[in-house]
Amino acid sequence: MFAVLHIADFPLHAVLRNEPDAARRPAALFTGTGKKSVVLAANSAARAPGVELGMTAPQAVARCPGLVIRAPNAAAEAEARAVLLAVSFTLSPSIEDTAPGVCTIDLRGSTREQFESAARAAVTELVRLGLPATAGLARTPLLALYAAQSNRSRSLNLSLSPSENSSAKLQAERTRTIKITRTNEDLTILVLLITPATEKSFLASLPLSAADPSPELAAILSTWGLRTLGDLTALPRDDIVRRFGAAGLALWQRAAGGDPRPIRPVVPPQTFAAAMEFEHEIETLEPLLFILRRFLDRLALELLAAQLVAAELELTLRLEDDSQLARNFRLPEPTADVEILFRALHTHLESLQTASSISALTLRVVPTRPLVRQQGLFETGLRDPHGFAETLARLSALVGADRVGTPQLEDTHRPDGLKLVAPLAVIPPPPAFPLHPAIGAPLRRFRPPLPAQLELTSGRPTYLWTEKIRGEICAQGPVYSSSGDWWQLDRAWTRCESDIVLADGGLYRLLIENNVYFIEGEYD
Amino acid sequence: MPAAPDKLATLRRQLAERFPSPPRIAGRVFPTGLPALDEIAGGLPLGAVTEIVCSAPSCGGQLLLGQLLATTRAARQRVALIDGSDSFDPTSHSPDLLAHLVWIRCNPTVSSAKTSATADALQAADLLARDANFALIVLDLRRAAENELRRTPATQWYRLQRAVEPTDLSLVAITPRATVPSAQLRFTLSASHSAIALELERPALATALAPALQRQRLHVAAIA
Repeated sequence: MFAVLHIADFPLHAVLRNEPDAARRPAALFTGTGKKSVVLAANSAARAPGVELGMTAPQAVARCPGLVIRAPNAAAEAEARAVLLAVSFTLSPSIEDTAPGVCTIDLRGSTREQFESAARAAVTELVRLGLPATAGLARTPLLALYAAQSNRSRSLNLSLSPSENSSAKLQAERTRTIKITRTNEDLTILVLLITPATEKSFLASLPLSAADPSPELAAILSTWGLRTLGDLTALPRDDIVRRFGAAGLALWQRAAGGDPRPIRPVVPPQTFAAAMEFEHEIETLEPLLFILRRFLDRLALELLAAQLVAAELELTLRLEDDSQLARNFRLPEPTADVEILFRALHTHLESLQTASSISALTLRVVPTRPLVRQQGLFETGLRDPHGFAETLARLSALVGADRVGTPQLEDTHRPDGLKLVAPLAVIPPPPAFPLHPAIGAPLRRFRPPLPAQLELTSGRPTYLWTEKIRGEICAQGPVYSSSGDWWQLDRAWTRCESDIVLADGGLYRLLIENNVYFIEGEYD
Repeated sequence: MPAAPDKLATLRRQLAERFPSPPRIAGRVFPTGLPALDEIAGGLPLGAVTEIVCSAPSCGGQLLLGQLLATTRAARQRVALIDGSDSFDPTSHSPDLLAHLVWIRCNPTVSSAKTSATADALQAADLLARDANFALIVLDLRRAAENELRRTPATQWYRLQRAVEPTDLSLVAITPRATVPSAQLRFTLSASHSAIALELERPALATALAPALQRQRLHVAAIA
């Protein structure tokens, strides 16, 4: 059994999937941007008011004034092709990149229930990713392609002859329909299964053009009154060969649905990256996030197909002034979850401000094997590592990246010598109870120390004034001197400190530097 | 037409029906190891806000914080300290007691022109309350400017309460005066240390702390 995933008007949808607003409006793809460019493809919203293939832009706009005009974009088509292949790999490891917008999948080894539900899921996924697709399931790749191609036209054009109508009803019983309602377009997507029992009736109703005859053959057969594949296969094959030679034989075989053939397998991607250059520079967050989400959706599918997960994301933004902003996101725990990957990027970009607009972006995923381990019963690691990383990122954006973390004391006697390090993933076991517990109340610092004025009586301080504290000093401790880093001219320090007690309550540390007084903190 | 509180209650009921959460046991507490506090309330209530009012200088706010750090460190639980005035002194504590601490330093002198340090601290608390990795969040506003505290709308405190309610964490706000209308428990530390506090062992100082209970709202389920 083979499946074919087919995206009609592939170049058009490849472009429109990156423009959420344009995809909902009448849109057409033209051969270029010149005056003589003609319509290559048009969506159903554009076809409804009369836009047809081969029309020039003025003709098309005359029929449909709000028409969105787009030109083919090779990069967008490459990205859409990668999406189609990534989704196809969810059905089978053996897939063929048959043509733009057509992917043939060898389903050998899976049961009917399995491949039918998988094909429905694949079509739904493609539609979610902005590529309206149809699927055909049949005995041969060609027959599956006919089924996939016929779905959309059948669903949109139900004006069949009575005999055709009855066969369509027969097929409808074997067809699962997924209806996805869009803003201005009701798109009916069919996954059509052609069984040996329905194969003949299905082929009989298809137009002759489905078998892609040469123009000469098509003209001759038309004069004979042959309109459908059934009409052609009703003629003896040997007579067709005698009349038209090898070309006639090939056409007759195509009209009969072809034969099973080995597919040309696509090698799964070994690197996981996506890039895009914007036609118009991006100045706001939303379009950037939209594109990144599209990229992540595809990359996550590729990672899953390769049984890998993302360990790191590398985002590079090229700005209009040719400068680059690069940022690596080391994930707290490797994952292929799109939501988590997207949140990591979103949190960073929310607080990002660039000097100029963004002209291109590149996203690369560093893959790794998934971590499979069982949590220990008494392990006190992070419950939600990704949520923790996101919270830290948001806090960093709020108060500054250098102001969030776990304090670590530096190996120095310098006052307030500390640095902030990244919080530990697993909290280590607590130390043994200290033999010599700390002495005295902890300090609550003033950063920077409060400049102070002292009133001295007989050489002893008796009154304190600062911006925030003032009062009579009723007791003072001994004065301690300390110094350090004397071997480094720019870091050398010398200080004297003493503890004072105010009469109305309050224990403070008095700091004396170069005969200037400060209050360094309050014992609290 | 139903009044606004009725509408709110209806909306909450509908949300609770649409997104059910596992039943929580009311009245659970986090023992602090401070006899005076644990004897009164059993500890800090989980899924609620506790306010510690430090109304006098050198009244033991940092001592209480050190005790909370020691208790959570022994249980290997993660703690966040939102330091509204960047006044925490890690060198006053053993380095081993800081391994589980995430310190958020909101410095009033470097806060952005648009927001105050207190607003930053409250926003940080709101973010942390939604993180499942913390057992205790300490919001230290002891030195917050009086006008900033007064400007903080009550709705912001209730929002914080709503954020912690469905969680298993305890949120402690250290303030200079009674400020948090949504606090389930409120203690006041009003006695300053004497000079001898600089020479005593810290565990003895912590044991001597005498927070006075000012408010205790009991959970309906706990009363039943």
